[in-house]
Amino acid sequence: MVASPVNSSTDSDLRIVGFLCNWCSYAGADMAGTSRESYPANIRLIRVPCSGRVDPMLIVKCFEMGADGVLVAGCHPGDCHYGEGNFHTRRRLALLRPFLDFLGIEQERLRLEWVSATEGKLFSRVVADFEQELKKLAPRGVAA
Amino acid sequence: MIEQIRAKARELLESGAVDCAIGYERASDGITARPFFAYRPEEVERFIFDETCVHNLAPYLMDRRTKVSALVAKPCDARAINLLLQEKQLERERVFIIGVVCSGVVETGWNRAGEAPAPRCATCPQHTPPVYDFLVGDPVAEEAPPAVTSPEVAELEAMGVEERRSFWEEHFDRCLRCYACRQVCPGCYCKECFVDRLDPLWVGIRIAPVENHMWNTIRAFHLAGRCIECGECERVCPVNIPLMRLNSKLNQETAELFDFQPGLSAEAQPPLATFRPDDDL
Repeated sequence: MVASPVNSSTDSDLRIVGFLCNWCSYAGADMAGTSRESYPANIRLIRVPCSGRVDPMLIVKCFEMGADGVLVAGCHPGDCHYGEGNFHTRRRLALLRPFLDFLGIEQERLRLEWVSATEGKLFSRVVADFEQELKKLAPRGVAA
Repeated sequence: MIEQIRAKARELLESGAVDCAIGYERASDGITARPFFAYRPEEVERFIFDETCVHNLAPYLMDRRTKVSALVAKPCDARAINLLLQEKQLERERVFIIGVVCSGVVETGWNRAGEAPAPRCATCPQHTPPVYDFLVGDPVAEEAPPAVTSPEVAELEAMGVEERRSFWEEHFDRCLRCYACRQVCPGCYCKECFVDRLDPLWVGIRIAPVENHMWNTIRAFHLAGRCIECGECERVCPVNIPLMRLNSKLNQETAELFDFQPGLSAEAQPPLATFRPDDDL
């Protein structure tokens, strides 16, 4: 892995995908950067217009391609830029997590978090915490 | 029972109320049943109904959306019609439902019909269709809603996550991706299925376990909160993947989280089409 300035705590090869909503969580991650909060560099961030854009197919595809964990982060409930996107996501993921577990992908590998634009500290804590959690699970290995 | 179906179908065809009556006839093997479309009154003599009538005929309605059809429907088939009505895929006026009181169908195969009930029927408590225009047979009193838990799901849930993973890997490895499960499913009516899309290519054409995994995972998840559990996908699977376990698991979760069972009513709001701001999930 390439050494990275934000990579202070990481020594794992975990691959984490983060889907961040444009309006809150992506700005929150940005805030983490500008406030010099560090978070594990093995999360790959993907900006989406809304957490409601995160089709469960995208999440399943990530796992099929060998991701160890998927983080979906959006505006706090009630704060969605589009009014209700995150409410739909909340329901979908509530069904998807136990379903993935049923298929043999531990449900701890999929996380839904609410991070606002000002919560840079929270964002870095969420990612660090997620990484720690994933380290406890057996690595998933590279997809065939 | 058969006479009632024939008489009703004849009446509907003669009066011109429907353009076609869809039911079952004896297949050419003389043992099993096959779908039959009667367009003329004299053809109704070919209709039969017995425990070999395993097919869910509701998907045929999707090809006849602009015409009026009569359909012979068992309880699970009627639930499929409810699903299609509720998802606005079908207009209620365009289908005349000849509901049949059903005590379960048997397992059938090429040239044979078994004694044992089909897996879904063994535990199904629903004998009267939830929706019909004309009922054949005597309705059974005190109907329990379909069970939300299944022993097959519980068996898998009791395993460790690793064990479950290898269980599904073993099954999905056999998948031919023939998509018979999709073709037969009353809930899979998309004009373009995600699996047929080339851009984005959700499921690659190569023969690889991950592609099979992707297909089977998403097929089931697209039926989350929608599967009416007729068991047709599992019945037609040429490599016997226990697909109903996936669907039942999702239905179980839907029932627990949202107190919802699909297909019982055409008016109920499906849980993934709505939300509550105070959902505690």
